[in-house]
Amino acid sequence: MHLRIDDIAKSWDGHTVLDAVSFAARENEFVCLLGPSGCGKTTLLRIVAGLTAPDAGRITLAGRDITTLPARERRMGLVFQAYSLFPDMTAAANIGYPMRLRREPPAKIAARCSELLERVGLGGLGSRFPDELSGGQQQRVALARALATEPAMLLLDEPLSALDPAIRGQLRSEIRLLQRTLGIPTIMVTHDQEEALAMADTIVCMNHGRIEQIGTPRDLYERPRSRFVAEFVGRANLLSTAFVRDTMPGFLERRPPGGEATYEFCLRPEDVLVQSDAHGEAVVEDFVFLGNLARVTVAWRGRRLLAELRGNSTLARGEAVSVDALRGAWVCA
Amino acid sequence: MTSARAPALWLLVLPALGLALFFLHPLATVLWRSVTDAQGAFTAGNYLRLFDDPGLPRAALRSLAIGIATTACCVPLGLALAMALHRSRLPGKAFIRGALLLPMLAPSLVLGLGLVCLLGRNGLVHRLTGATTDIYGFWGLLIANTLYGLPQVVIIVSAALARTPARHYDAAASMGATPWRQFLDVTLPRLRFALLAAAFLVFTETLTDFGSAVVVGGNYRVLAMEIYSEVVGQLDFGMGATLGVVLLAPALLSVWLARIARRRQDSGDAMPGRMLLPAKHAWRDAALGALSLVALLPMVAVVATVAYVSVVKLWPYDRTLTLANYTSGMPDGYGPVATSLGMSFLAACAGSVLVFALAAGLRRAPRGVARPMQFLASLPAAVPGMVLGLGYVLAFDRGVLSGWFYGGIAIVAFCSLYHYHAQAFLAMQTGMRQVPDALDDAVAVCGGGTGHVLRDAVMPFVAPAAISTFFYLFMRSMVTLSGVIFLVTPDLGLASVTVMRLDENGFLAQAAAYAMCVVLAGALALGAMRLILHVLKERRHVA
Repeated sequence: MHLRIDDIAKSWDGHTVLDAVSFAARENEFVCLLGPSGCGKTTLLRIVAGLTAPDAGRITLAGRDITTLPARERRMGLVFQAYSLFPDMTAAANIGYPMRLRREPPAKIAARCSELLERVGLGGLGSRFPDELSGGQQQRVALARALATEPAMLLLDEPLSALDPAIRGQLRSEIRLLQRTLGIPTIMVTHDQEEALAMADTIVCMNHGRIEQIGTPRDLYERPRSRFVAEFVGRANLLSTAFVRDTMPGFLERRPPGGEATYEFCLRPEDVLVQSDAHGEAVVEDFVFLGNLARVTVAWRGRRLLAELRGNSTLARGEAVSVDALRGAWVCA
Repeated sequence: MTSARAPALWLLVLPALGLALFFLHPLATVLWRSVTDAQGAFTAGNYLRLFDDPGLPRAALRSLAIGIATTACCVPLGLALAMALHRSRLPGKAFIRGALLLPMLAPSLVLGLGLVCLLGRNGLVHRLTGATTDIYGFWGLLIANTLYGLPQVVIIVSAALARTPARHYDAAASMGATPWRQFLDVTLPRLRFALLAAAFLVFTETLTDFGSAVVVGGNYRVLAMEIYSEVVGQLDFGMGATLGVVLLAPALLSVWLARIARRRQDSGDAMPGRMLLPAKHAWRDAALGALSLVALLPMVAVVATVAYVSVVKLWPYDRTLTLANYTSGMPDGYGPVATSLGMSFLAACAGSVLVFALAAGLRRAPRGVARPMQFLASLPAAVPGMVLGLGYVLAFDRGVLSGWFYGGIAIVAFCSLYHYHAQAFLAMQTGMRQVPDALDDAVAVCGGGTGHVLRDAVMPFVAPAAISTFFYLFMRSMVTLSGVIFLVTPDLGLASVTVMRLDENGFLAQAAAYAMCVVLAGALALGAMRLILHVLKERRHVA
């Protein structure tokens, strides 16, 4: 394992932010720390970067204990959400900054700067100041600066959340491509589940200072372990055991043993089958057309279910329908 | 913490030492002297003696009366001027701004001097019309103090007005509010705390002002004058200290109230949004214009009179124009102006460095350090200049530091610097707040230490605030009188004190000429500051 985090704990003013958090990242792996604001993900990233000291726990990088090593000696490349470029330095000067602090020869710095500028697609813009660059371009400069000293790891703190949606998508794939090309282990903090699903090899889903689940994006989506993960990653209909027993008893077989309220059934909207049926028990309450797909709310046996259909489905509000479920997963309530 | 995000507490060492030595120490000395007798034994005698002389309680009541009357005039007029600047379509706003600068460039006694030359027994109005004029006393003090306080009210209220976003007015208008109702429902509620803070400031300044009191007070003697005569006239330092404590009490109280008001202040919207363009409204503009004229005409007239008096041959008898007052008849030539310039430069240099270190050190300081330091740094706002100056005399005229400091330019510079410490610190701290946290972290991750943080992350954002602080301290030190009045010696003259002495001895024309030199120096400094800030803005890439 390249990076190991063991039992890291942190509290501010008696309020626990991180509660014995552990995970590991392999060489070349892209890990996303995903969670709502206040879940401790940014604090964890700052602890890995050496910007915040943990109260307890251990961090090892390539076998070496770096828990007490100051930030400047950790060789981590860090990209922030925004406002992290020096405003009175050009893009090239910003990128060269960490190398200048290391007193590397100017010729080498200049060469490396132009190489990095090319790499992040900003060739020729090295003499621009940050306020002369767009938000996306500024983040590219920040990325180049983080890579300047050939860091042992790349740490990204919500690098895309301050950008326009269109640029966000583009930069998302560029970052991932760059990370794959360089083979640099990366941890990215995000609260955007779609971003995490799109980019990560492994998602570490956090809530209230604890890790809820670690797994591949597919794991988290298809086999969420807790109600929190089911709701936070994608959309979910969460059904009680009693409701499943009444309506689709077939799924009870795979229910883990436990009290009535211990588990809930997570049914993804695209796994809900809704069909126009004059004798159906369910009624369409709402129909939202989204182009490629349509989001339908149906009332069925005293519950509302969310379903996603293809965009060309034609259902009307008040129409009678029949409902069926394809698959689902049992999660801890 | 293991990084640059950790507080750089060592930055606080020098500023804290400075505050302890040059602020707390003299202040404590004043308090100490007020409760001890000549032998150093504890006594309440000084306070009891306050009531022996019927003149002292009377002076206290007069100070209070002047303070309240000035506040009552200043706040409405200041509000009108601020409204004229920000909520009207009046032409000539540049003129309003320019006129408001005048009192800030001149020692407060220059306004008094101008009033005397204009409306005194032998003033210009009497000379030209033959009417009997006598400005000395309550009305003179009221006018001089009002003129002096006005710009500060306008600055505070304008800042609050500028924070009110246009969309609040749009919302009110869309619901059918008339302009007058918009003023009552949108403007005024957001100005409450600004008006309160301005009122406290004017009240304190008037209560403790010495410059106007000495020139236009005449027989209407206020507390500041009593302290001056106890100390300079009768060398009764114990009594001076006691009166100083009496003066300190209401000043402390009003600064404390202002602090509470500020804490509750609506800090405005993070996104100021669209700029407000006042709607066309002739009556409003006419009313605000008339009020502005009432407030500003005297201001311009008074300073213009000083300028005029400075170029006549023998005021008020021979009004032939001449430049002789600027070239001869000065007892010490321009020595005091040079001394003032040197002293102000020293105060500005030392002050901006100390205040910068203080504000930078407090950026990430833990609460336990930040709270008390913050309080200490702002406390000088509550201490009248005269009280601080008296403390300097009492604390530094003997003891280990006396040979080193007393009678030197440095002690005057420090007195002036710590007199204006609170405002300088506040400006610097406001600048510090603009530095994004991410930049600190970026420096740390790139491998830099605190020095790099200050140079590469903090400086680009704080430079304008630092420059403003430097010039603020410089200009204030040029015109300060109350703080330094006890510290000048025959060998160490200062420009503002020289103006006072010339006026006391009846050399009005020379006093006016001297005053104009100070105003000119202030104007030049202001021009230099604007130029530097402009160049910086052009060159800088900080939004």
